[in-house]
Amino acid sequence: MLRRDFVRAVVSVSIAPRLLLSQQTANPAPPPPAPVPWTLGLNPKTPLPETAVVDGIVETELRFFSSQQMATLIRLSDILLPPIGNKPGALLADTPLFLDFLIGNSPDSRKTVYTGGLDWLDAESHKRFSLPFAKLSDTQADSLLKPWLRTWMNDHPPVEPHADFVNIAHDDIRAATVNSKVWSDVPSVGAQEAAVVGLYWSPIEPDLRADTSECLRIPTHVTAAPKAAHTSSTYPR
Amino acid sequence: MKNDFFDVLIIGSGHAGGMAAKILTEKGLNCLMLNAGPVADVARDAEPKPAYELPYRGFKPPGRIEHVFQSNGFDANVWVDEQEVPYTFDAANPYNWVRVRLFGGRSLFWSRQSFRLSDYEFKAKSHDGFGEDWPISSADLSPYYSRVEEIFQVAGAMDGPPQMPNGNFVPDDTPWSESMQRFIVASKPFDIPVCKQRRALGRDGLASSVNLLLPDAEKTGKLTSIANAVVRELTVDKNTGQPNGCHFVDRISRRELSVKARVIVLAAGTLESTRLLLNSKVGNSSGVVGHYLMDQIYGAGVVCSVPEARNGKATKELMGGSAIVPRFRNITTKSDKFLRGYALNVTSRTGAVEPRNFAAYGAELQRKLDEYYGSAFQMTIMGEVLGRYENHVRIDIEKVDAWNIPVLHVETKYTDNEYNMAKDAVEVGAAVAEAAGFEVLSKNVVPNPPGYSIHEVGTCRMGDDPKRSVLNKWCQSHDHKNLFVVDGASFTSAGWQNPTMTILALSMRASEYLATEMGKQNI
Repeated sequence: MLRRDFVRAVVSVSIAPRLLLSQQTANPAPPPPAPVPWTLGLNPKTPLPETAVVDGIVETELRFFSSQQMATLIRLSDILLPPIGNKPGALLADTPLFLDFLIGNSPDSRKTVYTGGLDWLDAESHKRFSLPFAKLSDTQADSLLKPWLRTWMNDHPPVEPHADFVNIAHDDIRAATVNSKVWSDVPSVGAQEAAVVGLYWSPIEPDLRADTSECLRIPTHVTAAPKAAHTSSTYPR
Repeated sequence: MKNDFFDVLIIGSGHAGGMAAKILTEKGLNCLMLNAGPVADVARDAEPKPAYELPYRGFKPPGRIEHVFQSNGFDANVWVDEQEVPYTFDAANPYNWVRVRLFGGRSLFWSRQSFRLSDYEFKAKSHDGFGEDWPISSADLSPYYSRVEEIFQVAGAMDGPPQMPNGNFVPDDTPWSESMQRFIVASKPFDIPVCKQRRALGRDGLASSVNLLLPDAEKTGKLTSIANAVVRELTVDKNTGQPNGCHFVDRISRRELSVKARVIVLAAGTLESTRLLLNSKVGNSSGVVGHYLMDQIYGAGVVCSVPEARNGKATKELMGGSAIVPRFRNITTKSDKFLRGYALNVTSRTGAVEPRNFAAYGAELQRKLDEYYGSAFQMTIMGEVLGRYENHVRIDIEKVDAWNIPVLHVETKYTDNEYNMAKDAVEVGAAVAEAAGFEVLSKNVVPNPPGYSIHEVGTCRMGDDPKRSVLNKWCQSHDHKNLFVVDGASFTSAGWQNPTMTILALSMRASEYLATEMGKQNI
């Protein structure tokens, strides 16, 4: 055997098991089509693409509220949080459509507060002014809403029918608007609420299989408690 | 290869488990710690974001953690998902079980209020005839409280009345703000003591098991910790009948695993430790496991405004600071409306007043917010819930969690004792505020649902009588000498106090006893 053939044979013998092993363990069939391992080269210096939030860019369709309920919610949002000073109002923040998404994904008890409340408000409007709530003047709307405004402490919105909807919706409309991008884009002055910036926790080693586990096929165990004497606040938030 | 045979298996890594690990490893014992969740790394798992970048604009994910009132869109992923680990209750009596399974447990997120129990709690039955006395007294636990306060750097003033014992404090000599002074003066005719708050400063901004306890244990080289270990049940030696380890399931892979140890220390949090005992059918010859669930009523209170601080006139001399009004009812006098009593957290704030404190909207509301900015002054209740046999948890045999472990059914409710206490707190708080010249903006007499305070205690109460209690005065099972429960489950009564200091002191005391007894070959 020539010397170079001998060297080639030795190298082949020493490499072959490793190649075989790596094929069996690290790179099971089919072999990767790329010329390098898939993630090679990604490192902390890799530039990160800049992305935008969807607010103000995209359109969305009404998915939960009826068109009549949405018309009422739009007018309600505009009345409860109109543009004030330099700050945009609830409509510019697309708050009604955001609430359509949020409430539409919420437990039934929360949905009922909204759908029942919006229907009641529109019915009252027809009764008092022979107009849908969406067509009321500010003064007319104020006469419907003001009697139901209450002061309340955290976690304890009013439980009285109608007052519950008016005050909960008011709180949600404010939160959804103050936390919107358009509100954040305008600096807050004085006592104007500032958009919240906080430490956001990503899912930590999420258990992906929990999404398909048996327990999740069981209907939710959470049921709103009836409103009765000594009943604690049960409005799901 | 089979695992090492450990001296002690510690289930849970929060304040109770962390203290047990520190003490036991420092005594030379070889410990294994299991925690049901992963390690939270703030550098890896968290980043500052504006609310509009969150999935729900800062609202918490709808329906996922409905009973964690404390949660929001930023921290939604740190709490136990109620769909992943459900629990059940009757619809008429909701329960808020607030859980964290990250390594360090709820010690990562707590208010840090740090109080000792007094003999008004330890010897409560002797004082008013209700319930049971603890088998220990304030004097028994005092040396341990002192050491815990040193570790956790509890700041406070030596101004406590007998019902709020003083301790080993980092001195708090900050002056009262003028609004607080007015509150103190107005309180005197009501015989209400007003004291400086007591709060754990911790180290480097954190007062948790992960930075104050576990590093000491790891330093010994005697602690082995496993994350994502969801314990299914304790195992029992079929020859001796004694617990000898546990079966657990890896949270991610679902792999079923087992470990063995000479001694088991449960520190999974009051209700998880109890759930484990019930699922394992261990340590319950008394039939008391799961019973006498207690906590504290929260949610009732008063929000006021200090008129002189409005219209931009709030200064740091006028506003700011916090105080604790320790329990003052049924100490030297006797209320005909309720047993025991409540404390008030009192806070003078310089920031915005929340919009819900005004019955207004739109431009009118904004004018109110402008005017009242910096003038908020509020009181909120922490009231003792009585220990009642009927307030209990049991296994719900019809439901399992994501790892097919049977879940807890919680059956508990407040009674007129608690509701009357809440009403009294709001009446007194509002009266003092008005006497101080403050304007009451809003008030609430309805407590939050049981569990909200995150101070659930009891369900494995300690006592001298094995027929009426689960644990002895060392947090040791009456049934099994090698089984200890060192979290809040051992409490015989709840008190009005945040229970963390007591849990830490009890865990320290139990662990030292355990190490001594193991050294003597008694366990």
